Amino acid sequence: MSGRMRLTQQEADPVGAITAYPIVTIGAVLAFSLAVAMTWVHWGEVGSPIAAVLALLLVAAAGIIAAVSATPARAPFPVERLWLVVTLSVGAAIAEYVSSIGNNRFLYDDFGPAVIGLLILSLAPFCTWVSAAMAGVLSAAVLSILVFGAAAYTASDAPVAALIAVNSAPVLSMSAAAAGYSYGIISETLAWQREANRAALHRDAELRAGIARSVQQGRVSVLGREVLPFLAGVMTADRISVADADRARELAEALRRALRAGIESTWLDDLAANVRLSRGIDTIIDDPTGAAADLSADQRSALTALISWLGDAERSQLIRVAFTNEGEDGERGAITLVTDVGAAAPTRRELDRFVAVARAVALRADSALTRENVTVELSYDID
Amino acid sequence: MTLGLPGHLARESSSRALANAGHWAAFACLGIAAILGIVMATIGGETRSWPAVALVGIMVVLLAFVVRFPSVTLTVAYLVVGTGVVCVLTVLVMEPGSVFTTTNNSVLALPRIALILVGGAGSGSVIAVVWATLGFGLGEAAMFLGVALVGGTYAPSTATTLAFALVVIARVFDGVTRRPDMRRETGLHRASQQTRELAIRHDIELRATARLHDTALSHLVAIAAAGSGPVDERLRLGIRQDLGLIVGRDWASDHAAEAVTRPATGAPRGRRSRGDGRPPWGGRSTQATDAVRADSSRRIDGTTPDDEAPSLTNAFSAAANAGLEVRVTGDVAVLGTLGPARAAALDAAVAQCLINVARHAGVDQAELAIGLGGGEVTVAVMDSGAGFDEREVPPDRIGLRTSIRARIEQERGTVRLWSTKGIGTTIVLTVPEGGE
Repeated sequence: MSGRMRLTQQEADPVGAITAYPIVTIGAVLAFSLAVAMTWVHWGEVGSPIAAVLALLLVAAAGIIAAVSATPARAPFPVERLWLVVTLSVGAAIAEYVSSIGNNRFLYDDFGPAVIGLLILSLAPFCTWVSAAMAGVLSAAVLSILVFGAAAYTASDAPVAALIAVNSAPVLSMSAAAAGYSYGIISETLAWQREANRAALHRDAELRAGIARSVQQGRVSVLGREVLPFLAGVMTADRISVADADRARELAEALRRALRAGIESTWLDDLAANVRLSRGIDTIIDDPTGAAADLSADQRSALTALISWLGDAERSQLIRVAFTNEGEDGERGAITLVTDVGAAAPTRRELDRFVAVARAVALRADSALTRENVTVELSYDID
Repeated sequence: MTLGLPGHLARESSSRALANAGHWAAFACLGIAAILGIVMATIGGETRSWPAVALVGIMVVLLAFVVRFPSVTLTVAYLVVGTGVVCVLTVLVMEPGSVFTTTNNSVLALPRIALILVGGAGSGSVIAVVWATLGFGLGEAAMFLGVALVGGTYAPSTATTLAFALVVIARVFDGVTRRPDMRRETGLHRASQQTRELAIRHDIELRATARLHDTALSHLVAIAAAGSGPVDERLRLGIRQDLGLIVGRDWASDHAAEAVTRPATGAPRGRRSRGDGRPPWGGRSTQATDAVRADSSRRIDGTTPDDEAPSLTNAFSAAANAGLEVRVTGDVAVLGTLGPARAAALDAAVAQCLINVARHAGVDQAELAIGLGGGEVTVAVMDSGAGFDEREVPPDRIGLRTSIRARIEQERGTVRLWSTKGIGTTIVLTVPEGGE
């Protein structure tokens, strides 16, 4: 339950949120169009054109902020931005109220509640279901105060409570839809993740057995080809020669070196070797302290996806990945990934997708794209 | 652990999430409609609002059923009943003398929007748009009929049309953008699996290297230190034992036989071959060597594999080779409850424990306690030797621990170790019954 309350779709399913971000622009355009149309429709009730224009400007500002903040290049969407958008759109509703104060015969044609609801709804992939619901309820509460002021001038003689209920309906129903979407998609994602983790654990056992067998024929058997035959030879011999003793010394040193290299290397070196072997792209890892081993599973996946993608389809000729420490006490790790662009250079839009994914897994990420190089800088806190 | 939804699930999940959004909004609309009815009936004094509240209540119940059991029958039932409710509500709201001049008002919009947001049976954008269109069309028809009955003015509902447009926009957007291409290109799931595999491979390689290092290094150092001269028998036995532990008995037997017949391959310079076809470790015949090659499960220590019941043969043989006297309490036959691979892993781990005792404890006696209980086989290896502090074990000796732990943990067992300097060491190995 807590996961569902804390997570946004952008955090749980970053690619899904990247796919969804244009809906925010669509929502913002719809909200602005609705505001303009409604203002035009009840222009006869507008007593203060300045307030009416201000209301439209506030709607536009809220929409622009929502649309810009949701772009993948600016991921992750901070919750404060939701509140800023809601505040601006509530401001627009207040300005609209001021613009028609004393003349507003029907609350039904006010755009304030619908605009707030629309913007909250379009931001559903970027906020938790709780924040979407809270934004709706709090906005409705503020709008209710306006209804008290407007009630005296409306054509209806219904109780104020009834007017409040009617006036809150657009914002409450659309924020309920936003909360429902956020809750639904997070539940689906978490359920899949639980299933995937269970399957992965099961697969790990099989994988271990398979890898253990292949390792026998891999790196270890390279050592084995040298060391074990030698020992087997000594075992079968009657005497040890001086050459044997020298050879034993050499092999002991080689063995120590191999273990040291094994301890100092990480999964990232193996990934680089994979990219080199399978795609023929030189991939250089500069990780003297083995910092790659400290990355979380999701951070590793994001980095693996990025390196694999850059190493694929002639996007790069050379990939260099360097790990360094930042901050006064080295409390922040930095990963700088620089590639020499290949025949099919990646686009900024494609790169932003990976930057957004990296940001979703607690990596600060920035990217730069020139004709020659792609640079992605990632940083993370070291516990 | 995994980043987001995979391509094949994203579409359906997104569709269900959108349906969920519609349901929450529909409940909100119906809830507000019910509250409105109650306010009008109580504060407003309009008692005819009570039937309206009851009708909205029926819609809430039916919608809850559709959410819980999204079948075609229930969806159709909800739409049909909802249409009736909208018709009756239109009659109630648009009665002569009503404050509303046309049907384009917020009160009638609430149940109508709840009709559009039915979600309905099945998933996918097209089906959802079909259900929403049905909800919109039926609601419009019901409203038209209702207003015709009471003689009011019909006007299409702006709010309802907007809500319908929103549903269509959301569904069309979802249908157009949820192509799996982007997910496939980003390859997060493939990356996640690859990362996992890389980590496992790295771990296994490191363990294997460490094991090789830990076991073989002491022999290499001993050979280097010995200089030229006859091979010490103890060294020979130690190598034979460890080769069996590192790479399996078949490798040692095969390879040693190769070393005999093909001295140039793999063997160091100056290596001599006996050339008589005799295996090097005990004067066995050529036939025996062939038999070893033919049946890789046979042991290299000269015993025949007649007795297939699992036992601690390797461990006892290791102890004997190392000159260690082992006192056994309990019944070795309990190993019969283990699968051959698990029993062999336990045997190898116990052998490594005993070799450790012989090498490091400074005693020539060890005690072995074997037991079966709670679905587990437990073997305790105890000595009254030097003992050690695990934290002080040099890092380059991690292989010994991993070679014991790795074997046992791979069989889902546990290794517990107690050691005190000057008092001794106890290692308890536990593996569950069964296994391969």
